[in-house]
Amino acid sequence: MALSRNAKTGLILASIAAAWFFGLIIKYWVMGG
Amino acid sequence: MSAVVDNHAHDHGHDGHHGGYGGLMRWVTTTNHKDIGTMYLWFSFVMFMVGGAMALVIRAELFSPGLQIVDPDFFNQMTTMHGLIMVFGAIMPAFVGFANWLIPMQIGAPDMAFARMNNWSFWILPFAGALLIISFFTPGGAPGVGWTLYAPLTVQMGVGMDLTIFAVHLLGMSSIMGSINIVTTILNLRAPGMTLMRMPLFCWTWLITGYLLIAVMPVLAGAVTMTLTDRHFGTSFFNAAGGGDPVLYQHIFWFFGHPEVYIIALPAFGVISQVIPAFSRKPLFGYASMVYASSAIAILSFIVWAHHMYTVGMPVTGQLFFMYATTLIAIPTGVKVFNWVATMWKGSLTFETPMLFACGFLFLFTLGGFTGLVLSLVPIDIQLHDTYYVVAHFHYVMAIGAVFAGFAGVYFWLPKWTGKMYDETLGQWHFWLSTIFINVTFFVQHFAGMAGMPRRIPDYPLMFETWNKISSIGAFGFGLSQLLFLYVVLKCIRSGEKAPDKPWEGADSLEWTHLPTPVPYHTFDPQPDLR
Repeated sequence: MALSRNAKTGLILASIAAAWFFGLIIKYWVMGG
Repeated sequence: MSAVVDNHAHDHGHDGHHGGYGGLMRWVTTTNHKDIGTMYLWFSFVMFMVGGAMALVIRAELFSPGLQIVDPDFFNQMTTMHGLIMVFGAIMPAFVGFANWLIPMQIGAPDMAFARMNNWSFWILPFAGALLIISFFTPGGAPGVGWTLYAPLTVQMGVGMDLTIFAVHLLGMSSIMGSINIVTTILNLRAPGMTLMRMPLFCWTWLITGYLLIAVMPVLAGAVTMTLTDRHFGTSFFNAAGGGDPVLYQHIFWFFGHPEVYIIALPAFGVISQVIPAFSRKPLFGYASMVYASSAIAILSFIVWAHHMYTVGMPVTGQLFFMYATTLIAIPTGVKVFNWVATMWKGSLTFETPMLFACGFLFLFTLGGFTGLVLSLVPIDIQLHDTYYVVAHFHYVMAIGAVFAGFAGVYFWLPKWTGKMYDETLGQWHFWLSTIFINVTFFVQHFAGMAGMPRRIPDYPLMFETWNKISSIGAFGFGLSQLLFLYVVLKCIRSGEKAPDKPWEGADSLEWTHLPTPVPYHTFDPQPDLR
């Protein structure tokens, strides 16, 4: 199913937010700071 | 005095139907950006009054030295919740409310890009607010750690801390969804011909703010998640007793916290950039430089966080870097202030209530900015850190800067929202009472701070008594003045005179030039062609 232009933009922005959140926790939890 | 004209009568066939539901369910189920904007604005006002009541408890206790009204633990809970509620419950939702109401109308869009998610973004907020309030009734009460939620105190608090962490998660989710919606709306739903560089500056500041929120709210969410795992799942990110580093929390928090200042300030800049040209009857001076200055402020806000932490023991090279980076922000901020003044220069000025609040913002926000410049200097900040000088500084930026811009915006767009004019005389009374009392409250705190009075204490030496008495009198005066604001708004809604389509002669954005007053429930369907 083709995504709408809005859905594509929203998913890109949401993935940026998710990258910040999980990136922070992974950096200090998995990689030990 | 009056700037009222009525030269844009429109006869729009589509108007005020509200979809399938009436009554309360209309508001619960609505996906209309105007309804959701209205709910954001009322929610933020309620939170403003709740947070304000907490401020009055703080100021009542500080009226005299010694302990009179509340015990120190409850005092700390008050300072914590006052900060959290004002920042996340009052100021941020207020500007999201403005964004919901105005961005679709200013870019010629029929609604927000994700209308259902917009409803969800709002309805998360009351539950988050409720969690913060409920935390007072848990064993140990609400957390008394300060709005910054610093470790290791956060590890030691009772269950109220967990409720607060969940509340911050919910508030963060709401903000992230809201900002995704705003950015997508601006990027994808502009009317034909509404290029980015033709957008009203309010939309530009929100586009930049949206990106800031998407970048830093997850960082706060990560920090409080790590705090939660420290409390309950055996980790030691921040708990020194387990080998963690409390200063690490401060770095992460302020990586969110300083951009947060601009998340609040940039939309305020946007409102002011709409109001000043309208009452100067001139286009905004230096539009492009305003866009670039806003972007520069946002980018610089990512590299200055540790100026909140000069006293933690960082290397001198670190202090110097953050000092120079912080002072750099004065340049784009100065560009903005210069452009606002240049817009007014040789303009055909009138001073209705929105313009009064905009001028109040201009003068007092600049004052707060200057004390920020003072605090950016390491040798001075080490003396003033955690004193009332800092409290005075950030209240000039937040309590006067953001809130005055909010008032300017409400008075400016109230005729468009309600179709009625507010009482100009009472509006001006509200401005003067607010301006006088807010300065009585916070200006003297500079002196208390320079004399060495620490923040977040319920008791103080006798030498600080005079400043505190004056400050408390001002706080109660400012609080009471806001009841007048509520009266003015309610009076406008219930019995205001009918507003013309374009009550402000110099207003030139689409909501004034292409839409009737009050705006119909559904607008810009189909979109206008602006090419």
